[in-house]
Amino acid sequence: MSGRFRSFSFVDRITRLDRGGTGGRIEGHFAVPLGVHFPASLMAEAVGQLAAWSAMAQLDFAHRPVAGLASAVHYHQLPHPGCTLQLQADIERSDAEAVAYSGKVFVEGRLALELVDSVGPMLPMDEFDAPEAVRADFHTLLGAGAAPGRFGGVPLPELHDLQLQPGERLAAVLQVPEVSAAPFFEDHFPRRPVFPGTLLMEALSMLSLRLAQQSTPLTNAGPLVTQKVSQVKIRSFTAPGTRLELEVVLQDIDAQRARLKVAARSDDKTVATARIELTPRSNA
Amino acid sequence: MSEKAISQAEIDAVFPKVAQIVSDALGCDLEDVKPTASLIQDLDAESIDFLDLVFRLEKGFGVKIPRGKIVEDARGPLPESQFETKGIVTEAGMARLREFLSEVPADRFKTPMKAGDVPRLFTTETFCKVVIRAQRAA
Repeated sequence: MSGRFRSFSFVDRITRLDRGGTGGRIEGHFAVPLGVHFPASLMAEAVGQLAAWSAMAQLDFAHRPVAGLASAVHYHQLPHPGCTLQLQADIERSDAEAVAYSGKVFVEGRLALELVDSVGPMLPMDEFDAPEAVRADFHTLLGAGAAPGRFGGVPLPELHDLQLQPGERLAAVLQVPEVSAAPFFEDHFPRRPVFPGTLLMEALSMLSLRLAQQSTPLTNAGPLVTQKVSQVKIRSFTAPGTRLELEVVLQDIDAQRARLKVAARSDDKTVATARIELTPRSNA
Repeated sequence: MSEKAISQAEIDAVFPKVAQIVSDALGCDLEDVKPTASLIQDLDAESIDFLDLVFRLEKGFGVKIPRGKIVEDARGPLPESQFETKGIVTEAGMARLREFLSEVPADRFKTPMKAGDVPRLFTTETFCKVVIRAQRAA
């Protein structure tokens, strides 16, 4: 079965859409299936996709946004299997060049994630998917909704050649899977497979957690969680099969939190950068 | 209609904040963000950095900078067909650029210039003027 509109789609239904002008609110929801790996960063992906639906509809599906910039993503709660994400995005501006938006995710009435000042550059739709197919999916989401439970999880990142300097930095190689090994490529995107920026950020978060956990004074702090990912900038697309060099560098660390500067590079060219803030789970 | 000239005093007033925003957006050292620094040539800016910069300038100064405005303003009253031919900036187009981008050192206006390379001329001071124009339009 094709992975299109199932293997990396995180909006089941659109319940509110402000039309007219270039701004407004869009709301929807997504049911996290049971028994699949659903990393927390996919909550941010869900909000981004919700905002994308508003932007794409406004331009009659001639363009679609891709991941670009995010000022900050605040994590308040981790999603659990079987929960429903209530999604909300406020579009500040949207045109053929970019969509600027902020958004939130609620789980059982409580704020789980807040995305502040995100910008997605817009590119021609037909490079990524058939405009008429995307339009039809949009009408499904506005109507009865897509069937829940379509998402089958994502593989854990394949990290190699870890080089750890406790208290300083951790470098690793991320082997981006080939299309055949990762169904999400069929949905992201059908005509041009691109490694999702949120999965790249997830891998960088994992490395950050590992470094901080082995750095004084957080070595005995118990489990750590990602509290904030900020100044995210995705500079270029990552194709399937790419070998990415990841590096996370500690900026400062104390008993309450660790702050890191993180980057992904391919052939000496910077692909993405961000800042990550971690805290002991007991603090979160 | 030509715009009212932008004074050096107006540029100096906004430069520190514009420079800080350029430094934050491009991830470069503040001391490298000189008035005549070309964002692409000297500070390695790419298209995503321009998007980032424009949004940060809008938020930082509370102004609106419409998409594509910078290049459109650089072309000014010249229709596209008179500004460039087969992707190369015409003589009239170059004269317009020298006048509009008066803050850019004269030796950078090399011919023939591809229309796509016009953003390579933009300096920190260019963006100071973008902010000032946006403030005037508000």
